[in-house]
Amino acid sequence: MKLRTALTSVGVMIGTAAIVAMMALSLGLKESAVKSLENFGNLTEMDVEPLRWYEENGEWIDVPEDKVKKLNMQAVQELKKIPGIQAVMPIKELREQAKLKVGRREGYVQLIGVDVNESAAYRKNDIEKGNYLTGAPQEIVVAFDVSRELRDVEKEKREERRRKAGAGRHEMSQMPPPDIGGGEALAFNLVDRAGTLILSREYRIDDEPKYEKKELRVKVVGQLKKSEERNSSAAVYVPINVVKELNEWVTRSRGDEVEEGASRRSRDKAKKETFEFDRITVKVESREKVEGVVQALKEKGFEVWSPARELETINNFFFVIQMVLGGIAAISLLVATIGIVNTMIMSILERTKEIGIMKVIGATVLNIRWLFLMESGFIGLIGGLAGLGMAWGAVELVNYFGASGGLLDSLNMGYGGGGDPEAEPTKLAVIPSWLALFAIGFSFIIGVLAGIFPAIRASRLSALQAIRSE
Amino acid sequence: MVNSTGELTVTGVNHSYGTGKIKVPVLYDINLHINKGEFVALCGSSGSGKSTLLNLLAGLTKPEEGSVMVSGAEISSYNENELCMFRRKNMGFIFQSYNLLPNLTALENVELPLIFAGESKKKRRAKATEILHRVGLEGRIDHRPNELSGGQQQRVSIARALVNQPGIILADEPTGNLDSKTEQEILLLMREMNKENGTTFIIVTHEQEVAEQSDRVIYLQDGRVVQKRTRPA
Repeated sequence: MKLRTALTSVGVMIGTAAIVAMMALSLGLKESAVKSLENFGNLTEMDVEPLRWYEENGEWIDVPEDKVKKLNMQAVQELKKIPGIQAVMPIKELREQAKLKVGRREGYVQLIGVDVNESAAYRKNDIEKGNYLTGAPQEIVVAFDVSRELRDVEKEKREERRRKAGAGRHEMSQMPPPDIGGGEALAFNLVDRAGTLILSREYRIDDEPKYEKKELRVKVVGQLKKSEERNSSAAVYVPINVVKELNEWVTRSRGDEVEEGASRRSRDKAKKETFEFDRITVKVESREKVEGVVQALKEKGFEVWSPARELETINNFFFVIQMVLGGIAAISLLVATIGIVNTMIMSILERTKEIGIMKVIGATVLNIRWLFLMESGFIGLIGGLAGLGMAWGAVELVNYFGASGGLLDSLNMGYGGGGDPEAEPTKLAVIPSWLALFAIGFSFIIGVLAGIFPAIRASRLSALQAIRSE
Repeated sequence: MVNSTGELTVTGVNHSYGTGKIKVPVLYDINLHINKGEFVALCGSSGSGKSTLLNLLAGLTKPEEGSVMVSGAEISSYNENELCMFRRKNMGFIFQSYNLLPNLTALENVELPLIFAGESKKKRRAKATEILHRVGLEGRIDHRPNELSGGQQQRVSIARALVNQPGIILADEPTGNLDSKTEQEILLLMREMNKENGTTFIIVTHEQEVAEQSDRVIYLQDGRVVQKRTRPA
């Protein structure tokens, strides 16, 4: 390779490296911003609620009550049709707190009914011990903290009695510290153990308050991983039908049960049609599709409560950043392109005789053009490959110094920057494979484009005059 | 076997150089017919128009008047691209200064016309190697032109001209840069190829030896054919 050609390639290399490095930096910053957003919750899972008001021309307008969406089965079906949504997971919570008793331990829990079929595929990954629900009514899955929340009531009572009895005989300092929280720090294994869910309700007969208990035998089949995202630390997950039935039992007065009979079937049917979920969680296929899904949900009259709402703003902001940085870097590539044109024209002048020889021995106009286009294309390609290597080196250096200097933590906006130690470390700049391929392809195309004029010029040379030139 | 008939007919050709009002006539009323397989020498003093006539026969220049028929085709009416394709199939060229591409090896230089003809790499390599063997360069196929003597470079040039098996070879002073011994060798080689393949050779030359070895000698003077001499059988 001639020195002139090599230097032309260096020009392309610098241009490509500048573009790739700038893009990598803005992509890295965007990734960092999105990761910060992820600390608020999983971006591909979002809670959907009915849209109650919207903004138009700077004013907030209420959605008429009859137009407000209802979170019922119809809504579930509607959500399932939105492209990009992988699963729709309706949730119904028990209105009362229930008591979970496993062995000697007991504690109050929040019963959350889930659609087992829809949620199984995704929640299976969240299981720490045991299995996820299979749909059997007696199965439950407990949140990570449930085993810590349950208290050994018998032991507490025993200690209380001992404390009272020994209060006169011993000094307070000699007493063991009371076990506040019922062994909060000591988790015991709940998985594969049988337990009882205890609910109570109040009803009145002749204005006399009466209390009734309902016990449900259950088996703890699994325990979820620890998660900061989940609302309730004492959540117990059960099939949604169980919560439906229990809610009905809690809200129905005793008198209603007496009336049960012929009208029950029609009442059940009506309930099925008007039944509403508390929340609907949708799972999006990938993070790239989140923006489109959020948009589609809003168009269909739903409101989304998820950090994913901010993705659009982040994407728009970093798109502008990419364009500005890429545009600045593109100037150097433009200069390099002019360099290729210059080199190719010089090459034609030097190789006029060669062109003449080739034409005399049978090279067509197309052959000559192809030859010069490929040559300039390869100057671009070699420059592009070298530029990509240079950008990669620069990105590695930026990430190394950025990480060791604590710059990344400060850029992580303080939202759990030092979070999960097992998680992949955040990078200040990233070169995704599409950017690498784009850089190589783009530099080759730039080379080819730069070669068009010289190639046409070469193909128009007179064979006779060219062969006579020295 | 050659690709085309190898006949040439020049009828009423007049040609001049220059544009506008200042024109320098170089050829006057040229009428020629060259048969297939003939070994013809075009002789004449400098400026007699023999190289211009050769360029007209090659289609490198279009005649102002008259027609040039090569292997039955009226090439004076062809456009540049058609001429390139015609030359590729029907003609081979040998130059005084060899005109090999300096960055390519002997083998690659010979392969060049086959590349333009769209031959596969395997086929063109085999053909080029074979023809280089025939011109006696079996030990030099990977050498670049600057690593070869003048005679060897001209052999490469002959191999390149013959590799497409054209009907006609046009040679412009092919022995002009060679010593007398090499000149004889090259002449012999061209004669051999002419006889073996039935290829028509038209050679522009100043050399008496070349003219003596030709089937026919056409003398030009001041742009006119003044004498046609056929070698006695």
